[in-house]
Amino acid sequence: MNALDGHLHLRAVRAADGSTALSAQSFRAPFHLSKPNWDPDAEVLHAQVVNPTAGILEGDRLESSIAVEAGAALLVTTPSASRLFRMTEGGHATGRQHFAVARDATLEVFPEPIVPHRGSTYFQETTIEAAEGSTLLFIDQLMPGRLAHGEAWAWDRLVLGLTVRRAGELILRERFDQTGASLRSLAEFAGTGAGSCFANIVFLPSVDEVSPAWRTEIAALHRDGVWLGISRLRTIGWSLRIVAPDPIRLRDVLTELRAILRRTYPRLGCGLRRP
Amino acid sequence: MNSAPATSTDTGWLLGLLQASDALYPTGSYAHSFGLEGMIDAGAVRDRATLRTFLLNSVLPSLRNVDLPLAAHAWKAFGSRDWAAVGEVCVLAAALRAPRELRAAAEAIGRQRVELLANVHEAELAREFLRRAGEAHWPHCTAVAAALEARVHGAPLAAVLAALCYAAVAGVIAAATKLLRLGQNAAQGLLTELLALCPAMVGPACELPLDEIGWFNPWLDAASARHETANARLFIS
Repeated sequence: MNALDGHLHLRAVRAADGSTALSAQSFRAPFHLSKPNWDPDAEVLHAQVVNPTAGILEGDRLESSIAVEAGAALLVTTPSASRLFRMTEGGHATGRQHFAVARDATLEVFPEPIVPHRGSTYFQETTIEAAEGSTLLFIDQLMPGRLAHGEAWAWDRLVLGLTVRRAGELILRERFDQTGASLRSLAEFAGTGAGSCFANIVFLPSVDEVSPAWRTEIAALHRDGVWLGISRLRTIGWSLRIVAPDPIRLRDVLTELRAILRRTYPRLGCGLRRP
Repeated sequence: MNSAPATSTDTGWLLGLLQASDALYPTGSYAHSFGLEGMIDAGAVRDRATLRTFLLNSVLPSLRNVDLPLAAHAWKAFGSRDWAAVGEVCVLAAALRAPRELRAAAEAIGRQRVELLANVHEAELAREFLRRAGEAHWPHCTAVAAALEARVHGAPLAAVLAALCYAAVAGVIAAATKLLRLGQNAAQGLLTELLALCPAMVGPACELPLDEIGWFNPWLDAASARHETANARLFIS
């Protein structure tokens, strides 16, 4: 088996002209970095991380570390879903990702969804260190499986850990540890259907607001079979849970959500597609 | 024939746990639905059958993966007076609950239970915990309060974890009797069925490392978050 031991390290800094540039970058397969694109309207550098291989296979170990220095603004996306392929019994793949955002910096992480195939097991651990005065929008999406092939909830195990610290203080710790079967039973119970898709979002604004106007707008996206809850984290920031009946509606809700936030936080308005 | 006494006379800790689990003990837990009212508003819980599913697929996993191991770590930390570890568990407990409503319920009940220990039981350990928590801004939570009660009353770890299970399951069922058409016998039947599953959760919970604690149900969290701002609510959020 040709397991990959890949890494991605990026450091974004504020350049002399006020734009954002990558001062350091290092990557190894399966990671590849497309040429970053500066969005002059949003004033954000868009970095697209590409996995040129078919997806994540048994034994793969992926490690990424992305730092955004003071005054810089970075959007990180992927052009396609992260597919987790079938693994042998007891086999698994692991991913560790670390994000650091400095004061007056903005980081948006918006990769395409994880799509776990039948018989896959994946352990992902994400840590976020956000300085006081930084802005962070982290969006993690999960599909139930290869819906186009009629395959859903067939993975063996997914463990998605998330640790968020702001100004050094732990404000959120999550551990999503589910088998496909257990998540299917939760979806059936809630009545959101066999194609239920998830988004788990953490939004840390630079300045604390207890009841921002945009909260009501975002809460109103709970409609047409979409479950959306937004709640304030301890000390600062927001947690959003979204469950949509299908991938299209999840994508639509996320598009609307970004549009709502963009009105208050223009740096979250960077286009996801290249010009 | 064994001449040893059939029962132990050391039942002080048991009485302490019974008192803490009794409806007469003013913890304020009656005012919280622990996410149930939100799930009812969402239409997921409608009757006895769906309540049973909710208990099995949400309440028990949360106990198994969050509250029981948190209490086990806190119990050990209180036992060695490792206040740094106590503080770490307190912060972790709050960070593990993303929805403010669920976090606030654990905070309010946990604080009240510790204050009862300090003021009614006049427990010096509880007073020291309150002093340190106040100075370091540690959040309160039910699991840590239960561990503290166990140390004050001298209860074994397995007993306090079992009491935590009882309080959590009975608390949701008690809320359900106010929100659903659920008779007393049906409620007790559910409680009996669920409690029978709890002893098997105690042992693994004692062994779970701190960094493997955690569990959430995306639907429950969404429903709980929506309940925070619902126009009509029977239970507080």
